[in-house]
Amino acid sequence: MTTPAAIAYSAVSRERTHIAPWYIWCGLVGASSIVFGLYWDISWHMSIGRDTFWTPAHLLIQFGGILMCLTSAYLIFSTTWGHDPAAKAASVKVWGFRGPLGAFLACWGGVVMVTSAPFDNWWHNSFGLDVEIVSPPHMVLGVGILGVGIGALLLLVSQMNRAQDQERKNLLCLYFYLCGVLLSLHLLFLSEYGNGDQMHGAQFYRALSLGVPLILVAFARGSGYRWGATVTASIYTAIQLTQLWGLPLFPATPKLGPVFTNVTHMIPLEFPVLIVIPAIIIDLLLNRFGQKNKWLLAVLLGVAYVAVMLVVHWPLGNFLISPAARNWIFGQNYFAYAVPPSEYHFQFEFIDREATFALFCRGIGIAFCIAILSSRIGLAGGDALRRLRR
Amino acid sequence: MHRWIAALSVVFFALAPCWAHVGSPDVYFQGLAGPYHLTVTIRTPAMIPGVASVEIRSSDPGVSSIRVVPLYIVGAGAKYPPPPDALTQSKEDPQFFSGKIWLMESGSWQVRVQVNGSQGAGELAVPVPAAARNTLPMQKSLGVLLFALMTLLFFAIVSILGAARREGTLEPGQDPEPNQKRRGRWVMAGTAVIVLGILFFGNMWWNSEARAKALEMIYKAPPVNVSLEPDGKMVLRMGDSSWHSSRPETVMTKLIPDHGHLMHLFLIRVPQMDRFYHLHPDLAPGSANTFTVDLPQVPAGHYQVFADIVRESGFPDTMVADIDLPDVLGVPLTGDNSDATAPPIPNGLSESKLNAPVTEKGVVDVLPDGNRMVWERGPIPLSANHFVWLRFRLEDPQSKPATDVEPYMGMAGHAEIVRSDCSVFAHIHPDGSVAIAALELAQKNSGTPVAANGNDSATMDGRMSMPMSMDKISPEVSFPYGFPKAGEYRIFVQIKRAGRVETGVFDTLVTQ
Repeated sequence: MTTPAAIAYSAVSRERTHIAPWYIWCGLVGASSIVFGLYWDISWHMSIGRDTFWTPAHLLIQFGGILMCLTSAYLIFSTTWGHDPAAKAASVKVWGFRGPLGAFLACWGGVVMVTSAPFDNWWHNSFGLDVEIVSPPHMVLGVGILGVGIGALLLLVSQMNRAQDQERKNLLCLYFYLCGVLLSLHLLFLSEYGNGDQMHGAQFYRALSLGVPLILVAFARGSGYRWGATVTASIYTAIQLTQLWGLPLFPATPKLGPVFTNVTHMIPLEFPVLIVIPAIIIDLLLNRFGQKNKWLLAVLLGVAYVAVMLVVHWPLGNFLISPAARNWIFGQNYFAYAVPPSEYHFQFEFIDREATFALFCRGIGIAFCIAILSSRIGLAGGDALRRLRR
Repeated sequence: MHRWIAALSVVFFALAPCWAHVGSPDVYFQGLAGPYHLTVTIRTPAMIPGVASVEIRSSDPGVSSIRVVPLYIVGAGAKYPPPPDALTQSKEDPQFFSGKIWLMESGSWQVRVQVNGSQGAGELAVPVPAAARNTLPMQKSLGVLLFALMTLLFFAIVSILGAARREGTLEPGQDPEPNQKRRGRWVMAGTAVIVLGILFFGNMWWNSEARAKALEMIYKAPPVNVSLEPDGKMVLRMGDSSWHSSRPETVMTKLIPDHGHLMHLFLIRVPQMDRFYHLHPDLAPGSANTFTVDLPQVPAGHYQVFADIVRESGFPDTMVADIDLPDVLGVPLTGDNSDATAPPIPNGLSESKLNAPVTEKGVVDVLPDGNRMVWERGPIPLSANHFVWLRFRLEDPQSKPATDVEPYMGMAGHAEIVRSDCSVFAHIHPDGSVAIAALELAQKNSGTPVAANGNDSATMDGRMSMPMSMDKISPEVSFPYGFPKAGEYRIFVQIKRAGRVETGVFDTLVTQ
């Protein structure tokens, strides 16, 4: 049924000539600020140590959240009380308010991020200042960031799905950039489980099966582009390599004791996991079997993902713990200031390995199950992304 | 026989978890930084990693800046000090400086104090044992706020995902059909179930994390099994502490002597606190964790046991136990061992019920041999967590200052401070509340000179270098300290004169 609102929307949409609306750019800037702020913050903790609410890295993260929150709030309020029929036509209704779906989700994520602040402060007072990434308040913050990131993505996707021709191509480029940023965000939260010295333990494969196939499959299928997963994984790899090679160029001095390692520059995170290779396989499978039964396809994708991960990362682990990787290219010669020299060897030997081969197989079996389930959710998510209009 | 069996029934327990003393975690210290005499208070955080506050007062004018830097006393963590932080100089009192330091791990720290002023520069090292003491419960107001936000966010995400299913895939301008509205409601119900499940399991994970963190981080003194053998020998067997053994380099190192002894053992008959023993057990032959000591004559009763040790890292522990003892005939006191007898500590202590007469000079305790010990207490009531100088003077029976005071285990005096319920125990010296062995390690590694005691007479170091000097020293001894909480306290002050250890006993009330 074509309503007057639909006609109004159609008329307005034909007039667009710019690459993307301003709020899409805000979403990209906001999500990028959060993710790059997180990289900076983790490096800050490893190199300088002392942090307050007002460190530049924290401000960058907060800026990203606030930018997306304000942008979303403006979109919701202007759509609800404004007189733009096109905006109203492309909106959803929540609690009497109208606005793009992504705006509601991003706004929700921003409030979750704010909620995590007093929780995190109490956690610090109760259990000590930040010593780990995966803590309950950080998980709340992570959910908030996820809300902001996915909200920004949905804003972009709904716009992209309504666009055509060159406008769609332009938005597709921005879409892949945002997908790469969001994949980096996910892998940042998994960084405690994704190191070279863990690549011979099943935990590495279980952790990397949790969400990564979902993201790659969903983003690839949602784009409708043949090499969507590969492009997304490549952007993550580029971001990870940029921080690996770029951060050490900046001088830094630890400001907290005990200083066990004499750090003189910013310490980066580790060499990227090579998910670009399983991403290529995912794209090939999606292109070849994309129209098959989704559960069968999920099994195919999940099994292929874990198998390729094993084939790629088993030898990569061997290389990363070897002396050949202790250079600026692979970054295995970097240690945080709080790492005593007596613990350097942990970076040069495999940790978290199962005691027996049977236990390893059991762990890998679980990784297969997780990857299959993750792929199936990714297929559903990708289809939902393609259908999104508002 | 049954009395001996009863004596062997030992209780292990820990009072308020606190290293180096019991229930008294803050560091009070005095010493010389070059030409400047400083008094230092460091209030350690309840949780590590955390932020400690530092307050420093210079007795000498002309100090223009003080900077502090925390680092470990020994090991790899002592090699690379981070840049020092400047303390803030008080505008009202230019000789008072304050600031914060970050203590990122439990262990044996030192705070190096760097002073600049009109008389040049000076440096001082202050040992700071740091360990997490407790976790904080969530304040009710914060809990209510977070619960309200969680409820709001729960309903919000349910509604947003419902709207996504209902309208998200519609072309702009289209209204949702009834079946789309129905699917939207199903999604809302499903989202509600999933989110509630996440909250439920998240809460389980949070509780599990909190328990694990508390177990891993909160300090526990090593357990000690105390027993009495039929020949009157007390045996102390140190047990394993997972908190210590999980910190093999920064804490769990071998024991070192602290002012001449591997262990300082204090026995106090409770609840009356009328008998006090300061003994020095030795390691049993061939053992690394069993100490023995021949008890002197001890009357029967229930005794609180405090055992002080220091490790090679400089980290001190006070182990706590209690034991029922029968009458022990014992052996004569020898060496540095000492004892004291005092009237029972009165219940419901008040200023009017102090056990010793008060003169214009202060509180006087007449000792068994007729000598007198005077606490120059002053008129100001004592309050918790405030820096205070505890000043004592030994006099002869004619109220003249003693002229034959000697070092006692290398120091001008020792003081043991015990709260009436034994929830606080501190063994302090003229240098302050730090372990002397840790202080010597810190000063040796930092290259700072041995600090003077800052006593009023300032004629003799409060702490003597080993071997002990036999020079006569001032009869006045001062201890820098801060009572950690309000309550009734008994203070045992030990000063040696003419080859005999005199122990004055003073009671006081500390207000909040």
